[in-house]
Amino acid sequence: MPLRNTADTYGSLAKFLHWAIVLLIVPQYFLAEAADELPNGIEKLQLFTWHKSLGMLVLLLALVRIGWKFANRGLPRPVGEPWQRKAAAAGHGLLYLLILAQPVSGWAMSSAGNYPVTLFGWFQFPALIGENHDLQEALEEVHELLFTLMLVVVAVHIAAALYHHFILRDSVLRRMLPYSRKE
Amino acid sequence: MNAALGIGNAACGAAVAAATLLAWATAAAADAAPAASVSSWRTDSAQSTLTFYPTLSGGEFEGRFERFDARIRFDPARPLQCALDVTVDLLSARTGDPERDTTLAGPEFFQAARFPQATFAARNCRPLGPQRYEVTGRLELRGETRDLRLTLRFEPPARPGQPAHMTGSAVVQRLGFGVGQGEWRSTEWLADAVRVQFDLRLLAAD
Repeated sequence: MPLRNTADTYGSLAKFLHWAIVLLIVPQYFLAEAADELPNGIEKLQLFTWHKSLGMLVLLLALVRIGWKFANRGLPRPVGEPWQRKAAAAGHGLLYLLILAQPVSGWAMSSAGNYPVTLFGWFQFPALIGENHDLQEALEEVHELLFTLMLVVVAVHIAAALYHHFILRDSVLRRMLPYSRKE
Repeated sequence: MNAALGIGNAACGAAVAAATLLAWATAAAADAAPAASVSSWRTDSAQSTLTFYPTLSGGEFEGRFERFDARIRFDPARPLQCALDVTVDLLSARTGDPERDTTLAGPEFFQAARFPQATFAARNCRPLGPQRYEVTGRLELRGETRDLRLTLRFEPPARPGQPAHMTGSAVVQRLGFGVGQGEWRSTEWLADAVRVQFDLRLLAAD
């Protein structure tokens, strides 16, 4: 499998980044919900540390993914009607935006709450904004709202992929799957 | 200065020293202040801070004590005769999260209901360099008393009557004082070492 994208399929790096981000995002909701239920203590701290570390990893990988998208112009050829292509581009744009905004809002929320953000304790990210309890609570709302919005966009993304695969029977889903063989 | 003027050097130096001494004595007399320079200080609480930096899951955050009092005797000419007496109101610890502040004041950490104050007393500041000193004192916290070493910097007032400035830091090993009970005895998620910093604006208390 080539590293770069070809006319028929995504390259291995784009695939890796796509699926790594998926795998990192899925546990996020459960970690945050579980941590939220707990009283202040080591366990809560542990779960939030994981949540924040995975979130920062998503942010870093999303930046690499977007950088690679622009560096790697040979994208698979588009399919579908012009309106479908426009809708797909808009949906992907929104998804990238949410994948970036979600960790940034969490990072800002931690900073406003005067909680350090690290990558599994190995590296500390600087505070994005100053300590502000009211702002922390407002950002918590934003963080939850962005999550709901991301769920909706991801649902459409998955529905569209399945529609291409099972109804249109084209290669749109397959070209992003790991280990997909060339036709 | 060239060789021809070499002989004049010593005399010249002595003259300058005498003149400086005279000017200083005149200024002191004109000030109508006691002959010794100011050495007793009290903190200007609005302009002074006492901050601490715990390390939580590998990241530092800042907390501060909003109420503390430091009575300082310090004369740069006689640092060994210094005296630092600090009282900290442990209920005034603030970290930006009311829930965390409650935990901090509670039985697992400061146990402030039983030990509302921490005190620090130190004597004999040893010079380390220009305006820099170190001193080992006794910190009483949560019923335990242990040695604590501070490094500090003292800047005398720019002009008589103005505040002096003292800054410094120490590292407190929290577990030696029982700050962190139960699961918080583990240092995996909350480090033992807590950096403490102070920045004091000192007003003459004579």
